[in-house]
Amino acid sequence: MKTRVAVQHFTYRLRPLLLSGLLLTLPLATSGKNVKPDPNGLAPQDVKDLHYGDVLFYFYQDDFFDSITRLLAARQLERLPNTQGEAELLLGGLYLSLGEHVEAGNIFERLLNSNTSEAVRNKAWFYLGKVWYQRGYLEESERALRQVSDKIQPRISAERYMLLAQLMLRENRYDDAIAALSAWHGPPDWTAYAEFNLGVALVRKGRLPEAIRHLDQLGRMETSNEELLALRDKANLALGFAFLQAQRAADALPILERVRLDGPYSSKALLGVGWAESALGEFKRALVPWLNLRTRNLLDSAVQESYLTVPYAYNQLGAGGQAAEYYNSAIDSFDAETKRIDDSIEQIRSGNLLDRLLDEDKKDTLTWYWQLKTLPDAPESRYLYQLLASNEFQEGLKNYRELRFMSHNLDDWREDLSAFNDMLDTRQQAYNERVPKADAVMAATDLDAMAKKRVDFESRINQIEKSGDVAALGTLEEQQNWTRLKHIEDYLATHADDPDLADLRERFRLLKGVMYWRMAQSFRARLWNERRSVKELEASLVETEKRAVLVRRARAGMPGNTGAFAGRVAAVGARMDQLQQRLAALSERQNRYLQALAIRELQAQKRRIEVYQIQARYELAAIYDKSTQPKPRPKANP
Amino acid sequence: MKKEVIDLNKDLFVLQEELLFPANTQVAVYVSMDVGAFFALDSVTLKIDNKEVKNYLYTAREAEALLKGGVQEIYLGNLKVGKHELVAFFTGKGPVERDYKRGATITFDKGVGAKYLELKITDRVTKHQPEFKIKDWD
Repeated sequence: MKTRVAVQHFTYRLRPLLLSGLLLTLPLATSGKNVKPDPNGLAPQDVKDLHYGDVLFYFYQDDFFDSITRLLAARQLERLPNTQGEAELLLGGLYLSLGEHVEAGNIFERLLNSNTSEAVRNKAWFYLGKVWYQRGYLEESERALRQVSDKIQPRISAERYMLLAQLMLRENRYDDAIAALSAWHGPPDWTAYAEFNLGVALVRKGRLPEAIRHLDQLGRMETSNEELLALRDKANLALGFAFLQAQRAADALPILERVRLDGPYSSKALLGVGWAESALGEFKRALVPWLNLRTRNLLDSAVQESYLTVPYAYNQLGAGGQAAEYYNSAIDSFDAETKRIDDSIEQIRSGNLLDRLLDEDKKDTLTWYWQLKTLPDAPESRYLYQLLASNEFQEGLKNYRELRFMSHNLDDWREDLSAFNDMLDTRQQAYNERVPKADAVMAATDLDAMAKKRVDFESRINQIEKSGDVAALGTLEEQQNWTRLKHIEDYLATHADDPDLADLRERFRLLKGVMYWRMAQSFRARLWNERRSVKELEASLVETEKRAVLVRRARAGMPGNTGAFAGRVAAVGARMDQLQQRLAALSERQNRYLQALAIRELQAQKRRIEVYQIQARYELAAIYDKSTQPKPRPKANP
Repeated sequence: MKKEVIDLNKDLFVLQEELLFPANTQVAVYVSMDVGAFFALDSVTLKIDNKEVKNYLYTAREAEALLKGGVQEIYLGNLKVGKHELVAFFTGKGPVERDYKRGATITFDKGVGAKYLELKITDRVTKHQPEFKIKDWD
């Protein structure tokens, strides 16, 4: 009798442990899509500023570090005249992704206080709401999100209402959340997440009949998308355990059996199926999922529980011997696991956990979604899977990774800075060598005289045009022939009365006429060519004068310019040294913090195993106790 | 702390540009894509004054970033003041998945300020063909 009470008590204790573990702490479903700022719409389809497009090129590749660097540079160099509002919003979003909430909040507030368009203000309120939400300031977040008008892109609007609902759930305002989610309309790929959250809120509010509709519908969803398949499993698990908690084991069974055996929730579902069967008094059937669970990794809390539920079921079936055997085996397994956890805690304390975790990581970008997905092949790794699922650890690790990335980035720049210094030295040396030559060329170049020659040339052309001096623009041969004709003309003029020259005079007249006619025919074209030459000469002179100015300016500015650059290189070098030191100190602090988190997690796992171990020992003692009690003697017949 | 590193990184970026590509000689060439239904970009080759200065092969991720509205700074270099010629060759898959290669040319004046040129790939819906243009951002 005493033993039976103990077993019942144990059963009673186990079930709420499991149910509360699922229903009360069941995380809300969050689509990954509602975290990253949506620059669709922020980004101009038509390129308004090339440099903003350049920023987006990196942003769309999830390379946030390059994106924010280029954005800040473009802003400083005033290269974003047409996209200021969008660029500021994006900048706020990028700071947000890097965990710089204060800076992000400042940007959004600045945008709200300035004379910006309604569209930009809406987005600023929205992102400000997100900043507050992520920092846990739920009241401020709600106030900001409620400032967003409905004149906003549907996706942002949907995300806004989703955030509001999540915020209410975090504040345990289930009625408000239910109202918000019931009225929610969003993109189809988000509807499933809203349905799940609504179902969970209804369960938490004790409105199971209404929750069934949402969770059951989600649990039957046809999809091949891995993320949605996991959500479907989660919905079935939530509904199954809600039924179990409501003492409706028969209803729970088919729902829990929908959960995929190879999915992330299969262990918990197997445990639930066992509990449903046992609640129906089907202990033999309960053993099937529980024995299956027992073959799985002991790190899973559902598996750990199965080490106790299997002997419990045997005991219920009256197989005390097998039950004792399984309890003994559980105690041994828990002992070994506790020892391994202790060893792992020591390993973590010895340091380098984070560097080993990040060893395989792709280090060249900072992205919004970064999460560690694989663990190194080390003894302590097996205990860290649960840790990886926690937001606190992932956030901390992301932070550590960012610090490490930034430190590497500065290391790379250090090499460049050294090259810059070499370049400046080379420039100075080249300057020193070239200056005398340049000075000599400049001294030998009389630009004023050249300009005067050009003016004289143009005057001559004007004169030729005015006088109609066709021979002046003739070819060299024409001019020679024309000169010879002139000599002949002079000779004929001095022998004007000589009758013997009459024939010659006639031939001369003919020749002169032909030649003049030819040159007159080409005169306009030749004049146009000459004028063009004048213009070209003028352009060349202007260009030469411009270059002379540039040479003089460069000559005068070069030493100062080089000096200014050298000063800037030295200044950034000093900042780099100082920041590297601080980065190292901060990384070390973050390392210690994450190590403490990891150790805390391992200790929690150890404590949980210890609780199971105590229960196993207690039940074993109860079985021995029962077996050593004398069997009641049959009463003698009177 | 991270903001300080980002600010320093920005200052280094600006310093590098001003030192290596001062405005009086700077020439930057950008690539943008609009729609992209008729052309999937594989690579771009740039020639300035008949000399090849860039041959860029795109990853799927980069091509996607262009389609979303990103603009790539494909080339940043220095040129003397005066007239220059830029020739760009685009290769990729055209309509009906056929290999497609097209070119575009522009003659531009490099003045004393920085020169920005944009290689624009757009869809000509009426002709069901991609269109390649070069825009001089004066």
